[in-house]
Amino acid sequence: MLIDPDQLLDLTSELGFRLMCTGAEIYRVEESIQYVLRAYGVHTGEVFAIPNCVIVSLTDPSGHASTRVRRIPAHGTDISLLESYNEFCREITHTPIPVPDALARMDAIQTRHFVYPFPVLLLAYLVGGGFYSLFFGGTLRDGLCGAVCGVAIGLCLWVMDYLRANSFIRTLAGGAVAALCALVLVDTGLGDNMDFITIGALMILVPGIAFTNALRDIMAGDLISGTNKAVEALLIATAIALGTGFVLSAAQRL
Amino acid sequence: MELFTPIYFLPCLYAFVGCVGFAISFNIHGQEIPISALGGAVGWLVYLLSAPLLDNEVEQYFVAAIALAAYCEIMARIRKCPATSYLLISIFPLVPGAGIYYTMEHAVHGENERFLLQGMHTLALAGALALGILLVTSAMRMWTLFHRRHPLRSRWH
Repeated sequence: MLIDPDQLLDLTSELGFRLMCTGAEIYRVEESIQYVLRAYGVHTGEVFAIPNCVIVSLTDPSGHASTRVRRIPAHGTDISLLESYNEFCREITHTPIPVPDALARMDAIQTRHFVYPFPVLLLAYLVGGGFYSLFFGGTLRDGLCGAVCGVAIGLCLWVMDYLRANSFIRTLAGGAVAALCALVLVDTGLGDNMDFITIGALMILVPGIAFTNALRDIMAGDLISGTNKAVEALLIATAIALGTGFVLSAAQRL
Repeated sequence: MELFTPIYFLPCLYAFVGCVGFAISFNIHGQEIPISALGGAVGWLVYLLSAPLLDNEVEQYFVAAIALAAYCEIMARIRKCPATSYLLISIFPLVPGAGIYYTMEHAVHGENERFLLQGMHTLALAGALALGILLVTSAMRMWTLFHRRHPLRSRWH
């Protein structure tokens, strides 16, 4: 298929941008773009991605090179959207369609996409916080308190997102709110163990798979991405510790 | 059955339900929710079952990580979804959140030696977890490349 290099660059850089914003791993973004370029018959294309930037470049038959750079803003993780774009990518790699159609289909994916409403999200935090308090060894009353702390973190994260706080401040505030709630609940005699309640609720904030992905990048030789994400994971863990630690040491003084 | 005694069954149940909550918070839909949450229960069950066989927690974490990554990779093949979406949720029971908390607690109380010990232990757990998962995903990737028939189709997880 003969195709305009500019259009192809638009498509691939947009795809890379959107994949990154769903929280896809670096290798997935780079491979997806490479496959799409090859599917459209371009073998002189290069792609380079790091956690906050995607660069796609290709040379057309006349020897003229063009490049697109997309900066990736702060983003969360949306697995269902990631799966949709992954599926879309597989399809256009298998049977390439004209670029405007492909762009229109990406927009359709974005508009058709379903996100849980905020109350459902709060319910999820409630269940998550509560059951992880039980999981770490808390009593039934600790579980209930953990659920309350989970909701408190959910509300706090919502306020922080509204205020466009960065992820460090966001996590710090979340940790502080969780510790404060747990402290109050234990003090009023509703909860039994301060530590189980806090840890259960904190699971909402922990970096989770981020550290694993960072090590994967480092082992694969993507040192910039890897160290970038490893530092991010450590920073989030530090923010959790600082947030809860601040409340605990303040409570000690009182 | 030994598996259904409360010491094994209850924590796994808690891990499962907790993971369902986190699956929703990462916007996972439909059937993927119980599948990814089950991974969390599988990982924790292996962690508990390996306790009598291995003498330290880091090794237990490593074995549990291998088991849960294998579960996620197999499910990803069956459901034709990225394995990451299952891993992201299944890993939660094993994430050393408690380690972060206790490290902080020792720091607040000014117990420097215990702070360092707990901090190193937490890092070791995170490392064992990552290593176990990476071992399985890399092995799986090599296996797919080896059996590749449709070059463009089968390389995605």
